[in-house]
Amino acid sequence: MSDASENTGLVKWIDERYHISPLLEFFRHKEVPLGAHPVLWYYLGGTTLFFFTVQILSGLLLLVHYQPGEATSYESIRYLTTKVPFGWLVRSVHCWSGHLMIISLVTHMFSTMLLTAYRPPRELTWVTGFALFGLALGFGFSGYLLPWNELAFFATAVGTDSVKSVPLLGDWLLNVLRGGPDVTINTLYRFFALHVCVLPIAAFGIIGVHLLFVQRQGMALPVGESEAPRGMKFFPNFALRDLLMWLICLIALLVLAQLFPYGAGIPGFEWELGQKADPLAPAFPGIKPEWYFLWVYQLLKEFPPHLLGLEGPQACLMVVTVLLAIWALVPWLDRAARAERSSPGFSDLGVGAILFIVFLTLKAWDIGGGGGADGQLPDPAAVARACAWILVPLGLAITLVRVMVFHHRWFILSGAALLHAALHGIGGLPYLVAGALTAPLPVVAIGFLAIRARRSAPSAGGRP
Amino acid sequence: MAGLGWLGSVLYPVISYLGPLPMQGPSGPVGLTRAELTKVERDKFAIIPVGTRRVLVVEDSAGELHALDAKCTHEGCTVRYVSGESLIWCACHNARFDLQGRVLAGPAPRPLSRHGVQRNADGGIVVSVSKA
Repeated sequence: MSDASENTGLVKWIDERYHISPLLEFFRHKEVPLGAHPVLWYYLGGTTLFFFTVQILSGLLLLVHYQPGEATSYESIRYLTTKVPFGWLVRSVHCWSGHLMIISLVTHMFSTMLLTAYRPPRELTWVTGFALFGLALGFGFSGYLLPWNELAFFATAVGTDSVKSVPLLGDWLLNVLRGGPDVTINTLYRFFALHVCVLPIAAFGIIGVHLLFVQRQGMALPVGESEAPRGMKFFPNFALRDLLMWLICLIALLVLAQLFPYGAGIPGFEWELGQKADPLAPAFPGIKPEWYFLWVYQLLKEFPPHLLGLEGPQACLMVVTVLLAIWALVPWLDRAARAERSSPGFSDLGVGAILFIVFLTLKAWDIGGGGGADGQLPDPAAVARACAWILVPLGLAITLVRVMVFHHRWFILSGAALLHAALHGIGGLPYLVAGALTAPLPVVAIGFLAIRARRSAPSAGGRP
Repeated sequence: MAGLGWLGSVLYPVISYLGPLPMQGPSGPVGLTRAELTKVERDKFAIIPVGTRRVLVVEDSAGELHALDAKCTHEGCTVRYVSGESLIWCACHNARFDLQGRVLAGPAPRPLSRHGVQRNADGGIVVSVSKA
């Protein structure tokens, strides 16, 4: 057993003044469970934090040359990327690390979902993680406008316009966000303040709380298990592995930033400066938001002008809000996991959410629809068909892996997502009609399972 | 009660500060500049600022002029005139309107507002924005 008397040198000097012994003691005894889950999942929070750190550092470097203003925003970014030594690299690192941070964060969030690591006592860890996900999207959205180019202008016009759907306060919020009724240079000033000041302060605070929760409670064990088969000392064993993972991420980031300084060349994953924003120019064909907003962008296209007494965008954003609220409240909705029982329905919800988002994202890329450079519009029916033919086999392959490897037996929601895609893409039904036909099936199936579980509960000892 | 008063006295100035200032702009008829006239002649449309609005001025294949709000009623992107198909199109979410502003296809929930437009004897074009 180590105690404060073992500390020497600088540590002893600090401990005498600030009494850090209990903290050191905590880290000496902290262990990471092994043999419970694939250890890869444990690194994703760390890699997200790493990319966030790179964002802050490269953002500070960009601030040296960036000048917000109608006559300076675009020009300073062009100067930075063409004249300043390694300016292109700093911008490329900033953009790449932003995208990689969101990839890492989304993977971290879905792994937490699929491993039901959100269950008590970690509900608030999930909620703070969800808040960080929202902040990451906020960083992406606010930073997108700062180069003041054509793409940024219209992406911001569409993104901010959604705010007007908020009941009662919508128009006021829109005016506050934009600094007026339309996207102007006033919007850029506000987004600049958000991007470099408000969001970082909020992120630092919530990351601090999230890390505190993770350190205090440790990694989640599989459902129903009270201790891991083995453990690894957090310090130095796991911390050094974490550091190695950060080094791998740094190398990958630098290679990508150098080889592809303007992004991956996929719509929504590229940052060519292009033309300067002109509020009097029409939106150009093929305009797309960043890849992580594509599913919402496509969903906005799928809604008709009016639905159930609401305007299409309002109805669409209401659906998105409800879906996100369900996602945020999963730790409380998943009653089986709360009782330390397996909850296959929520694992399937995670897979279903992935299939739902992937299908809309593929559609947003207009895969298989033709059109493009000559100004021809992609054929929506051909796009839906091609995307369904990608999603359905992909979904079936995922299902097969779940059956063979993870022994899953619950596929109601992921099956509904696949049926929806098939009815729409292959059956030729409109997206919402296919959704309306599909939606009752999981409701009936889940209701049937719930009734059957309730009937068999007394004899089966409560096992679902 | 005192707490509410205190909260109000803090929030009211902050909320007022964050709100945008009223935008100024010409409210009467606006004539197109030479560059805008050239644009209409070349592309068959131009987007011009009138007060706080963006107005799309179109010259159709019969030479008739139309003026409509250039802001799509779906998500606020700026629309364009597609002369080959004689329709107004928003590239953001594929909304289509006819030259009267009526929705032809796509997700736009409302028609584009129409404005007054006329050609002067000297060839100039004047747009008058309707109040609606």
